[in-house]
Parts: sequence; structure tokens; C-alpha cells
Amino acid sequence: MNVTMHWERSWKDEFVTRIERDGPWSNWELYELALEATKALTIPQFDGLQAPKHLPHITILPHQYDVARQVVEQMNGKAILADEVGLGKTIEAGLILKEYMIRGLVKKALILVPASLVSQWVQELNEKFFIPAVAQKKSYVWEQCDVVVSSIDTAKKQPHRDIIYEQTYDIVIIDEAHKLKNNKTKNYEFVQGLKKKFCLLLTATPIQNRVEEIFHLVSLLKPGHLGNAEQFQKRYGKLRTLHDDAHLKELIRKVMIRHRRHDTGIEWTKRHVETIFIEFSEAERNVYETIQRFKSPLLDTSLSHMTLLREICSSKEALFCTLKNMLEQKPHLETTISALLQKMNDINEHTKAKKALELIQTINDKVIVFTEYRATQLYLQWFFKQHGISSVPFRGGFKRSKKDWMKELFQHRSQVLIATEAGGEGINLQFCNHVINYDLPWNPMRLEQRIGRVHRLGQTKDVHIYNFVVRNTVEEHIFTLLYEKIQLFERVVGELDDILMKLQSPAFSNHLERIIAQSKSEGELKIKMQNLVEILANTEEQTHAAR
Amino acid sequence: MQQDDIQSFLERFFTAAHCPIVERSDGHIRVQLTVEMDKQLMNRPFYWHYVERIGAIGEPLQLSLITKRSIHEKKGEHIHFGSPRLHQIFSIAKMNGRFVRLYEQVFERSAALHPWLHTNILLSYECDRKQDRLLSLGIHLISGTIVESFYDVLKEKQWGVTVPDYCFTISPLIKPISGLARLEAFVERLIASETHEWADAARARWEEDLALLKHFYEGIEEKQEEYEKEKEALRQRYEPRIHISIINGGVFYLEAK
Repeated sequence: MNVTMHWERSWKDEFVTRIERDGPWSNWELYELALEATKALTIPQFDGLQAPKHLPHITILPHQYDVARQVVEQMNGKAILADEVGLGKTIEAGLILKEYMIRGLVKKALILVPASLVSQWVQELNEKFFIPAVAQKKSYVWEQCDVVVSSIDTAKKQPHRDIIYEQTYDIVIIDEAHKLKNNKTKNYEFVQGLKKKFCLLLTATPIQNRVEEIFHLVSLLKPGHLGNAEQFQKRYGKLRTLHDDAHLKELIRKVMIRHRRHDTGIEWTKRHVETIFIEFSEAERNVYETIQRFKSPLLDTSLSHMTLLREICSSKEALFCTLKNMLEQKPHLETTISALLQKMNDINEHTKAKKALELIQTINDKVIVFTEYRATQLYLQWFFKQHGISSVPFRGGFKRSKKDWMKELFQHRSQVLIATEAGGEGINLQFCNHVINYDLPWNPMRLEQRIGRVHRLGQTKDVHIYNFVVRNTVEEHIFTLLYEKIQLFERVVGELDDILMKLQSPAFSNHLERIIAQSKSEGELKIKMQNLVEILANTEEQTHAAR
Repeated sequence: MQQDDIQSFLERFFTAAHCPIVERSDGHIRVQLTVEMDKQLMNRPFYWHYVERIGAIGEPLQLSLITKRSIHEKKGEHIHFGSPRLHQIFSIAKMNGRFVRLYEQVFERSAALHPWLHTNILLSYECDRKQDRLLSLGIHLISGTIVESFYDVLKEKQWGVTVPDYCFTISPLIKPISGLARLEAFVERLIASETHEWADAARARWEEDLALLKHFYEGIEEKQEEYEKEKEALRQRYEPRIHISIINGGVFYLEAK
């Protein structure tokens, strides 16, 4: 026979003792209850999922159910979960982990996530999935707790590394797994050295730049599935995208599941975008034009006056911070800067801030205000307070507990949240559906992340986005050239991902940053941006053609 | 067990554990725990330790459980199929009903009661996937006859912990422990007589993955340790095995027919 049998002997041993001692014996009712409890917990079949029955309070979406089922039934418990951002990869991973735990196939689990997400994972696993996960804080946790959540950076260091290697984990789950695309890193090497019975890798961007990234990712999961390094390089090394090779695509489909928003069949609420043009007051215009007249050599080259121009479009407080730093580093600029400061004194109130206040009062509902500058954030908080509107600040640098607390305050006490950093790994604010972009970031991806905080699964209302743009300034240029041309706001969620991913987004972002920071005049900025938009438009056509 | 069955299970469980149900409505019960049940369920060892140290009488808590999601007006824990509380109760129930010796309650006539050994046995078929199967086997401790689905026979009768009036028991010819050994052998024969396609399929998956793994590490001497680790992981994942455990059992004295 091709199967081994293992008898659990503890019942027999105890039975022998009880016969010798003539008891104690239970009654019929307890005997029946024990059997019923057992029946309730038995797994009736290999196929299907037990977990949903245990989790009646979570809404499992059809694509999430399919992912879990496919991983268990067809992929033998090893998979790259690569759904696009916002489709609930954490839910999928939790569902799979729960399923294996119910089936008794997983007892010990190691979950590696970015440091900023550790407590969120612990909380979700405990509260949503009733999985007693523990954050690794003390080194004894590795040995004494069954389900441990930690950052890779902690785990790979000694003494943790050796202790972890001694444990027998039944499943290893890694969030933000695209950080393991490079096989030369310490993180990669660490994960490669882990024994992986079952394994889930979570990433929204399985390929960022080169096809071989997927080779390294798959080789962590299932070594040999794509051949060895040499063969892969020889056969596929020259491919630009996966679509170029049907065989490779098919192989990858066996270990990776990727849903896009448009194939989930989920009805997304609408986005309403409104652009609000602002006219500078005379005092503001005066400051803006003074900066425009600065001669480039006068200023530090890396801080062209484009930066200063963008800052005054936000607030004089933002500008002031930069000027102050500049003055400390370059005392010889004192006359120029003092003259500018003098003019800034004439600005009493910002037209933009007044407009924001007006809008918030009209909306009369929760609003998130995004700004690029911390000084503007503080100013707005103060300004709104003057007019009887309380607000809470939010920054990417806040600790998790503080973030949670601020979210709590915003949800229950304050009308407004003022955030400086959307942070791809921040908080989810589905209970709010109004977003004011007080100033615009240079990177469209950042804007997408901002909107993604509210326009995600669980948002039940249409989302309103208000873009503040000051007329006849650099802001208007960025806006018309970049955002309007690529029709960023009208896009379905996630489409931009595709386009930017094709453009190798890090390179694209860097390029954009350089254009804005280094253009010596608005004319130069205009021309460079126009070029960039051309490239974007081309890529987009290709994307559509590919579909 | 469906959501609707949970309440009746809980009521029977607490009644059997001598915990009075002080409040009951559709979807909600409140029970007065006994000291024993408080210790098993409420996780407050320090309290009990303290009470016992100073020689006082401890006060067990009441437990309020809500079994219908629609109920919000009651204070208490919402219980559903996945809630940790229910699983805690399941494991106590399993623990408390493991061993019995019972006598069929025959009334108003004289009867000879024959000894049977009955066990509920859980078979878990495991590889990278899993399926359970429950067996209910009885063996007549006089003749050695083995009966499958014996529980169906037992549950039709009434059972007590003492021999009823006018009845007498026949002593086993086969000792209960020997009976158990015969049941074990029966289970093993049963498994051996079956075809196990699930195991063949698991072995095929295993071999396929193993071939890929070998190929990947071919010629990389310095990664030998990693290779061995992954190889072992494959074994743990795919190797088909059947885990057999006895849920509960005991000697039943049954009127001979």
C-alpha cells in the first residue's frame, strides 16, 4: 500500500488505566456531545473551503474565494498572490491560512511583512480571522508562539535568524514580496534559506522592471519551476514583458494568480473630479513674480526656483521654511531673501486656504485635505481652527498606534483630516468620500495613492475629488500638462498602474522629479513635460492594443 | 452543525455540565457557571488561586451567549461557528465525553445484558490536502463479531450508568483491551483493502516537484543544505499518510436479541 498509518495511542493508554481503576466514566449525554463536537470539526472532503463557514462576519468577494480555492486545490499551497492594489490580498492570505489551520495542515506560521504593517496584520488576523497571531517583540516568541508576524529586517538578523531556521514552519507568508526581486540581497538569501512547506508571496507588482525578477520570485516559491538561472537567462533573458512568450506565461499562471479590477466584476463607486482654479491675491502674486525674477545663478542649482514657486502656491509658511534653511546655508543671499520676506509679510490670508474653508463648510461632511508640505499642514490646522473647524493631522512618519488613533479621532470627532503623505502603506479611510488636493504632487502615482485611501473596497459612496490649482502659475502648468493630458482623474482605479508599470515606474518618477526640480524656466518645464506626456500617450495606446 | 444548531448544542452542553440556564430566549442564553466550568472557560487562574489561598469560597461567573447575529439588544458574546469560545467549548466537550461504561435501560422485565466495546474513530487522510472520515465500530465481547455504524444501534436506546433492576450482565469473554486490538486490526484491514487515488495523486505531485528541485540545484554544490531543506519540505507537504485517532469509546451492556 502506498500510504503510511499513524495511530494516536493516547486514548488507548488512558482507557487501560480507567479499566484498571474502574472509572471514572462519563454519561451518555456527554458521550453524544463529544461525538457531535467532533463531527462539527471534521473535514468532509478534500475539495472546497471550510474557512468561510468559520468566518460568517467577513464578506468574502467571489475573486477572493476563487483565489483561496485555487491555491488549496490546484497550486498545492504555494502561490504568488498578485492581485492589483486594493483587491484584498490580505483577506486572501488570511483565508488560505485559516483554511489550512482548520484542516490541521498548518500549525506554525511565519508571516513576514514591512515593519510598518506588523501590528495591522496581527490585528486583522486576530479580529477578522480568529487566528492568534503575535507580533515578534521578544526573542522567545519564535519558539513559544505558533503564528508570528515580524519584519524581514528583524528576522534576518542574529540571533533571530538562527532561531527561525531551527523552527519547522508549516507556512511562510511574505507581504510586499516584490522587495525580494533581487537574488543578491540579504533578504532574498534569508528567505531562500527558510524551509517552505506551504508558502504565499503577496505583491501587487510582481514585475517592476525586468522579466528575470519573476524568475527570482518563482524560484523562491518553487525552485526549478522556471528552470535554473542559466537556462532562464538564455531562453527568456531578452523578453521585455511576459506577454511576449506564451509558454512562459502559461508556466507562471501555474504559480501566480493576478486579478485586475476590471475582471473582478465589482461595481466601483464613481469618481467625481472638480478642478477649482484660484486667483492669487495681489500680495501673493507679488511674491510669486519676485521669485520668478530671480536669476538662477543666484540660487543653489539643486534648489531651482521651481521649488520656491511650487511652495508659494501652497503657503507662505512652506516657502518660509525653505528660505530659512537657505539663509543659514548661504548667508550671502541675505539681501535678496530679506526683500522677499518683506513682501511675504503683506500676505495676510491665503486665497487657497479661504477657498478650502469655504468648500469644507459647504460639503458639511468628512473631508481629507492633502498637502505636500508640513508647514502648510500646520498652517491649515491653525487656520481652520480659527473658523471653528477642528482637524487632525496625519503624517507617514507617525507610529502605527498614533495613526490608528488619528484615524479614530477623524472618524468620530473631527470633520477634517490634513495629511502630508498618502503613504502606500498607510491607513484606509473608506468612511470618507471627499478629498481635497490642496496642492498637487509631481508624481501621478502619489496622487493615485492619495485617492486610493478612500476609493477602495468598502467605499459605498461616490468619491469627490477637488483639485486646487492656482491660475497662471507652475501649478497650472503641471496640472494641464500632466494630469489633464493623461486624464488621470477619469481613469478607472488601477489603470494607471498598468501604464506606469510598463514605463518602468521608478525611472519615470525620477525623470519627472528631475524635470520639475531642475527646469530653469517655466518654458523649459513646459517643453520637457510635453515630451513626457507624448511617451505616456504612446504607452497607453500600446496598453489598449494589448488588451 | 449549522448556526441554528449551536444554541441547542450549548444548552445541552451546559445542562450536562450542571450549569443552570438562568435566562433563555431564541438566540440567547445566560448560564450560571459552576466552579469547575468557570475554571475551564473563563481564564482567570489568578482569581481561583487567590480564593483558594485565603480559603474563601469563590464566586463563579455567569456567561451570556448570543447565537443569532440579528440580536443586538442583549449583552454577551456573539457565538458563531468560527468563534474561539465555541471551539473552546467543543474541546471541553470532547475531553469530557471520552470514556463510558453504560447499561441499556430495560424496564419492567428481566434481561441478560451483553458486553460490547464501541469506539468512534476518526481517520484523517492527509497530504498537502486533507479529508476526514468517521467510523463507528462495535465488537461483541462474547463472540467477537464486529459491527460497523454501531452508533446507529446505540442511539436508539436509553442508557444509564447503573445496571437496571431485574437485569444482570454477562462477563466479557474477550477483554475490552483485546477487543480494542481487534478493532484496530479491522481498521487497518479496511484501509488496506481500499484504493487510495488521493495518495497516488499526491505522490505524483511530489515526484514532479522533486524533479524540478533537483534540476534547479544541479551543479550548485554550495547550496546543498538548502536543497536538502526544500526536499524535506516537499516530503512533509506531499507524503500521504492516514492519521487515526479514537474520539471516544467504552463498554456498553446491551440486551441480547
